Amino acid sequence: MNLDLHSHSIKSDDGRAKVENYCEWIRKKELPLDGFVLTEHRQFDDESDYRNLEDEYGILILKASEVETDYGHVLIFGVNTDMRHAYDFGAINLSLDHVIEASERCGGMAVPCHPGRPNVGLAAHYHERGPVNSVTIIETRNGGSRAGEDEASIHLAEAYGYRGVGGSDAHLVSQIGKCATRFDTPIRNEADLVAALKNGDFEAVSCQT
Amino acid sequence: MSLRFQDIELGDELPEHRPDIRLEIVREFAGAARMDAAARFTDHDKAREEGLPGAIVPGIMSQGILAAMVHGWSGDGIIERIDTVFRAMVVADTEPICRGVVTDVDPGTRTIVVDLTMQNEAHETTVLGTATVRFSV
Repeated sequence: MNLDLHSHSIKSDDGRAKVENYCEWIRKKELPLDGFVLTEHRQFDDESDYRNLEDEYGILILKASEVETDYGHVLIFGVNTDMRHAYDFGAINLSLDHVIEASERCGGMAVPCHPGRPNVGLAAHYHERGPVNSVTIIETRNGGSRAGEDEASIHLAEAYGYRGVGGSDAHLVSQIGKCATRFDTPIRNEADLVAALKNGDFEAVSCQT
Repeated sequence: MSLRFQDIELGDELPEHRPDIRLEIVREFAGAARMDAAARFTDHDKAREEGLPGAIVPGIMSQGILAAMVHGWSGDGIIERIDTVFRAMVVADTEPICRGVVTDVDPGTRTIVVDLTMQNEAHETTVLGTATVRFSV
């Protein structure tokens, strides 16, 4: 199944998409997408309940987060109460090493996103400060990447032996599904997603036209 | 014939728009908007001295360009709201492409939402946003 692992709704400060409109768009455009993950900036959206939309559209909608670390932005999957006490999701200079360690200890998974992007990506920081040993997965396909950024991410993954995931980084409805991650096993919830990421049964796919 | 609400469907694309952002046009806009005291909008060399890639287009001009594109397409439609996010600088004397696509149609209020993007020559999205447009017919 294909999941877009990186999207933002109006809950993010720079997001301009309503979640229902993502669903309508996926169905109208017949996108090869079984679901998407909302990764709101610097927060975890505890209050929204999208189960009715899941039922109406037959699309899996999971919730995660995108936090900001000293090595760039990082997607956090399997967010739970323990994790939210382990570090401040709203901070803008978290330690990447700590975020990865704490996320995994609390049963989740941390994945640096758009690593090939200047300033907010892992590669630029690796160049200046060296690698972080606890990284195992990075986002190698990002729908918002500029020319050369995904190539830099793929190169980084090859150099360090990282697995790669894909996500659109959609902030507008029409951007959803531009990149995704193909899983070999069924994903029904956040726990399944974390388990599949840990098992390595996935690959990044680009759906750019 | 003016566009009618009933003819609009989710996924409809607006015609691509290639705005004229030659420096003299940007300079005129900056003057009209009383922003011409800032050399970054009017002079490539002085903008570069500030560390910019060249003279840049004011954000309100980029938003105006996108609004004009929506108006040109929608005819009698009224823009109720336009909301833009500036992701990267728009440099004068370049050739960006503006695009719009209908991503929500609400028959109850006769409004639509249009996703808006401006991309530079490297296909980098410099401005993105949405416009809500209301139709009377």
